Amino acid sequence: MSNRRSFLRLGAGLAAGGLAAGLPAVATAAPATRWDEEVDVLVIGSGFAGLSSALNAKRQGLGKVLVLEKMQVIGGNSAINGGWFAVPKNPIQLAQGIQDDSPAELVKDQMISGRGMADEAMLTQIAEHALGAYHMCVDAGVEFRKNFNIQVGGHNKARAIRTKHGTGGDITTKLYEAGKQEGVEYRLQHYIEDFILNSEGEVEGVVVRRGYRFPDQKTGSLVRIKANKAVICASGGFTRNMALRAAVDPSLDPTLDGTNHLGATGEVMLAAMAHGALPVHLNMIQTGHWGSPDEGGFGWSNALLSIGWHEGISVSVLSGKRYMNERADRLTCSTAIMKNRHQDGTPAYPLVLFNYNDHPDDDRVVRALRDEMAWKVDSLEQLAEKFNVPLAELKQTLAQWNAQVTKRTDPDFGRKMDTAVKLKPPFVVSRIWPKVHYCMGGLKTDMGGRVLDCRTMQPIKKLYGAGEVTGGVHGHARLSSTSCLECLTMGMIVPKTIKADA
Amino acid sequence: MKRVLISLGLMLALCNTAQAGDLVKVKGATKGRTNHQFIYEEGCKTCHQGSARKYVDDSACIDCHGNINDIEVTRELVLEEANPHKSIHFNQGASCLACHAEHQTKAPVCSECHRTWFDEM
Repeated sequence: MSNRRSFLRLGAGLAAGGLAAGLPAVATAAPATRWDEEVDVLVIGSGFAGLSSALNAKRQGLGKVLVLEKMQVIGGNSAINGGWFAVPKNPIQLAQGIQDDSPAELVKDQMISGRGMADEAMLTQIAEHALGAYHMCVDAGVEFRKNFNIQVGGHNKARAIRTKHGTGGDITTKLYEAGKQEGVEYRLQHYIEDFILNSEGEVEGVVVRRGYRFPDQKTGSLVRIKANKAVICASGGFTRNMALRAAVDPSLDPTLDGTNHLGATGEVMLAAMAHGALPVHLNMIQTGHWGSPDEGGFGWSNALLSIGWHEGISVSVLSGKRYMNERADRLTCSTAIMKNRHQDGTPAYPLVLFNYNDHPDDDRVVRALRDEMAWKVDSLEQLAEKFNVPLAELKQTLAQWNAQVTKRTDPDFGRKMDTAVKLKPPFVVSRIWPKVHYCMGGLKTDMGGRVLDCRTMQPIKKLYGAGEVTGGVHGHARLSSTSCLECLTMGMIVPKTIKADA
Repeated sequence: MKRVLISLGLMLALCNTAQAGDLVKVKGATKGRTNHQFIYEEGCKTCHQGSARKYVDDSACIDCHGNINDIEVTRELVLEEANPHKSIHFNQGASCLACHAEHQTKAPVCSECHRTWFDEM
């Protein structure tokens, strides 16, 4: 791949110098002056950032807009996420009587969670566009839950709204359809091989593998597409690229599954970096300790454990004992959970259990049991047999726990016991293992979304970035419901920049 | 097109034992769907325009079956929202190939997360 990349770049340079005719005949190395197709704005990726960029590029009158998506479905992570969207001063919030929120209040919260590493000017710009992004969605037909606006982790105000079905798909499908109606063209199964730059270092277009079938790099055929005004990278994060993940953050255990779609592998970001784009904060990768190994993606586990962490306990299948404060923070719990291993190093998924009879009709329980990512067991004996836990120790753990609940104290782990409940069968039991969730790092852009060259700190001409592929915005940790916000608003800002630059 | 639809009708009328869509050996090592048998008799070019090795996009499926939102799902759904042809995640933005394959079994894209709802297509 690197050979072909450098060859293409060499080819582009030579072609500009008029020497292309002297090149050996290699299938992938057509002269840079020969294009298969020409558009004005080319968008890479079709999640929130890509869809918003494409729609707004069209609305800015930038001409022919083409969105390329490598997978067989539109939407990337955005299509499968939880559908949370932070909007200060949203109509539902105002109707709830919350008058004291503002973009600045949101930024204040984000600066705290960013731990000194977030970009205040960028976050401010994004927050100030929040209401505009909300209206863009509503106008496109997106339905949000009626009268639903709540305070989510790390926010000081209730300002997070949620889509009707609780998934970002409610937004991506509508933005896609709006774009289609307004003349945006979308193509699936188009994998970006490389950018083509001219001798002045300006991005002219891309080499694309058309008809690509993920994840087989040999599928499809190469075509070259020219982009007259801009190439927008909106290709998402890289949590599914195991080698890169391990290289930038070795503390992320390779056994960790992810909440992301399988295509979140980061090659567009890497191609941009190969042409000089500045990477920032690549090692800042967020994990959630609320994952279940018995379902894919984000799943139901997080919701189920909102009962489990409070009312129940987590036990090791190896010892039959508790091993952590179930209510500690993400990092503390993740670390404790991952110490549960068989002798060969493979995960010994710990269990979380709570009383079935306290929640038989709760949505979280019904869904989890239906989809077999949690089980109802009628006795400790049955539990021990099903999950291969030492029974005597398990019995002792339960007896000890119930005694602690009476006294409202946890001498072993110092857990806050206000919500703790005495355990008795039947139980709801699930298995847990942390999951990798979000890349805070990526390509460094300026305020307008221009991708910066690490050698000059100046924009790489005609190369723009929006969404999770960019980095340095949130700093150390991102707050829930702010990625949707960032992606949609940067998709409004970048086309304005392109118009100004053109 | 009419001819294709007539043969499709005949095919469905005649096929009592095999479920429409079962994967069987059709030619050499190539497998195919029983409900497409009439297509194989006419050669690969019905779908692979020009060459059997050429990439086939959704138009080959849509010509006979219609657009994704128009195709009724006949099997019982786990819940109303779990309709893969009117998916709340993708709706029109899904290729047929995300869930279906002609020559091999394929795990549908939904099963990446909803592992107990959707099996091989």
